[in-house]
Amino acid sequence: MTLKEILSNSVTRKSAGTGLLLIIVAALTLEATSVIQFFFTQRGLRQEAIQRAESELDATKNEILDVINQAEAAVRNNMWITRWCLDIPDSLHRVTELLVKNNPVVIGSTVALMPGYSKKHPLYAPYTFRAGHELLRKSLATEEYDYPNQEWFKMALDQSDGFWSEPYIDKGGGDILMTTFSMPILDKHGELAAVLTADISLNWLTEVVGDIKVYPKAFSMVLSRAGRIVVCPEESLVMKKTAAEMARTLEDTTTALAISRAMLAGKDGNMQIKENGIVNQVFFSPVEKTGWALSIIIPESDIYGKSRRIGFLVGFLQLLGILMLILIIRSSGKNQLEYQKLSRQREKMEGELRIASNIQMSMIPKSFPPFPDREDIDLAAKLEPAKEVGGDLYDYFIRDDELFFCIGDVSGKGVPASLVMATTRSLFHSVASREHSPAKIVASINSNLCEMNENTMFVTFFCGVFDLKTGRMVYCNAGHNAPMVLREDIQMLEVEANLPMGVLEDFTFKEQEIYLQYDDAIFLYTDGLTEAENIQHELFGEERAQEVLHRRRGSYEHLKALLKAVGEFVGEAPQSDDLTMLFLHYLGHQDPGKDKHLILHNDIQQIPQLAEFVETIAREKSLEQSLAMSLNLALEEAVTNVILYAYPEGSDGLVEIEAILKEKRLDFIISDSGVAFDPTQKPDTDITLGVQERRIGGLGILMVKTIMDKVEYRRENGKNILSMTKHI
Amino acid sequence: MEIIINGTTASLIGRLDTPASPDALKELAPLFEQADKEIVLDCKQLSYISSSGLRIFLMLRKEAAAKGGKVIVRSINEDIRKVFMMTGFLNLFELQD
Repeated sequence: MTLKEILSNSVTRKSAGTGLLLIIVAALTLEATSVIQFFFTQRGLRQEAIQRAESELDATKNEILDVINQAEAAVRNNMWITRWCLDIPDSLHRVTELLVKNNPVVIGSTVALMPGYSKKHPLYAPYTFRAGHELLRKSLATEEYDYPNQEWFKMALDQSDGFWSEPYIDKGGGDILMTTFSMPILDKHGELAAVLTADISLNWLTEVVGDIKVYPKAFSMVLSRAGRIVVCPEESLVMKKTAAEMARTLEDTTTALAISRAMLAGKDGNMQIKENGIVNQVFFSPVEKTGWALSIIIPESDIYGKSRRIGFLVGFLQLLGILMLILIIRSSGKNQLEYQKLSRQREKMEGELRIASNIQMSMIPKSFPPFPDREDIDLAAKLEPAKEVGGDLYDYFIRDDELFFCIGDVSGKGVPASLVMATTRSLFHSVASREHSPAKIVASINSNLCEMNENTMFVTFFCGVFDLKTGRMVYCNAGHNAPMVLREDIQMLEVEANLPMGVLEDFTFKEQEIYLQYDDAIFLYTDGLTEAENIQHELFGEERAQEVLHRRRGSYEHLKALLKAVGEFVGEAPQSDDLTMLFLHYLGHQDPGKDKHLILHNDIQQIPQLAEFVETIAREKSLEQSLAMSLNLALEEAVTNVILYAYPEGSDGLVEIEAILKEKRLDFIISDSGVAFDPTQKPDTDITLGVQERRIGGLGILMVKTIMDKVEYRRENGKNILSMTKHI
Repeated sequence: MEIIINGTTASLIGRLDTPASPDALKELAPLFEQADKEIVLDCKQLSYISSSGLRIFLMLRKEAAAKGGKVIVRSINEDIRKVFMMTGFLNLFELQD
């Protein structure tokens, strides 16, 4: 073992020790946090359950008392008239009839006289009750019913405030669960004379109480004064068993009995009872006047269920986190050992990649002049790599009289940048060899770069396709510096704000175009030129570059002069970035009479420019005045059509007019990128019609067709192209 | 484009092309009101007319037909006469030298 290895091993051991401590501390902190959190959550949930149960008990009690009070009021309101009628017992049935009729909650009522109070009727109890929508009458003074011995009668006698009977099932009226409120009636002499009653059905009670659903599995029960089960989700118990009887069937009978005792004693409270392994919270409260007790039973799983599930989940995640921490710390210990091995490998790999990038660089065209047999273009390009391998690129080639060229700068430096640069260049070469539109070339390279771009490196890129015959240059600028256009003066080329390549896979790149005339030039460069820095951290800048370019030189001499100027400016400062330049001097298109171009915006006020355009052509070709006017007319009609209808209202669009002048014929090509529309398809206006029948429109295209010898429409690359020919 | 109106006679001077037409239509409004009479469009100095200009002629002619007046086109040059011919306007208007 070398000293170095011993050292690195001790480093590993030390880091493993720190790691263990870290794990213990992390685990303790996590556990403590979750225990505290669990405790508070439980407490919060319990508080919430108590609140919900209590408010539900109150609300339900109020609903019950509302009905109870209505029934009591019905009886009280009829006490005086009952007393008044005692002398004429035969009229008492009328009292009961009115009481039932006027009080919807009451389903039956009687005035039962004290036995022997009336001489005429020793037992007298006329009863009125509801049967559907009708009110029926019968007498309760039968031998078998024996009303003086019924609870509602006996118990009422010494209750001056009235008495609510135990709920009971009325056999006569169709098994209705009922309860009766009875009130003793004293006669004028203060003697106990009769009992006035109101029966109410308790069917609504089952519904009201059954509606209590504070938690999914919670349920409610109502006990009567005597401990009978009046409402309960288990219907077989209703009115058949008492709370005490039920308690005996439960696991924890002692607690169940204690709860029922507390309820029957009219107490408010909360107790818990375990049944089938589930702890249930029982909340109870008395219903005044009736002596009933209302209760809500909530299984704890309902209350704490969610928090326990979350608790388990949190615990599991924490365990997972700690395990991962252990793994990470172990592997980082190992990594230290492997690091030195890897860095040696990387140095070797970097060296190899440098060679690869050099090979790629050598594929960039460097010979000058690049196109010795062409007289219409003078092109030169230069890439000065910085010391560290960088990511600048350029390329160019001619295909079918069109010059395809590009310049680009990959973000970042080093081997990754130079690899992206090499990829971009070869993508340009392969895509541009089949694709014609710069926007499509850029889009294709972009989507390829995005696919393999894991390091999120991007490429600023300018791509142009230059028709050497016509001087038309279509270009697409993906976030690169705007090139300079050299004419009488130097201007920046207008460029769309497209994103650089490699940023967004489905970005829509827009292309633009410019017409170059004989002697015009385009200068492309990367920021290695303008951002070249001297020791004072000043930048070379565009203005210094333009000063150099102002002088007339060949393209190669321009680049040499620029490099010299940059070199003098930078001085001793090291070159920090690649510096790439491409100079394109157009020497074609020397005969300006051959064809002409005019580009108009979709603004009707630009029409006079069209007249001038035709005027120039007419002069050049010595056309007769009348022919010139006809041509002007046809062009105006065709162009107006585009201006008015091709583009959506308010949006800016262009109309391009190209005139190709030949010996015996003139060709006009009008193109626009608006909505597809073929004016030649419009039916011809019938010019034989009279004044009334003539339509106002349709004259324009008619004149175009009449004046021109040939009119053809085609849709190509999203453009409307109308070609017109006139023989001269 | 210049238009001089004198009673029911309008003298059109210059180029009646697409950009000039909206203003021309406004200026000729008085003639539309008098379309029940005989209206004269003096084209002696009219050098150019496009379909949007012809449209104004046709609208005036329709107005006159509806109101029982008539439109006389006076002194058109040869080039504009050709335009009238190709659009069938020769049949719609009464031409005077």
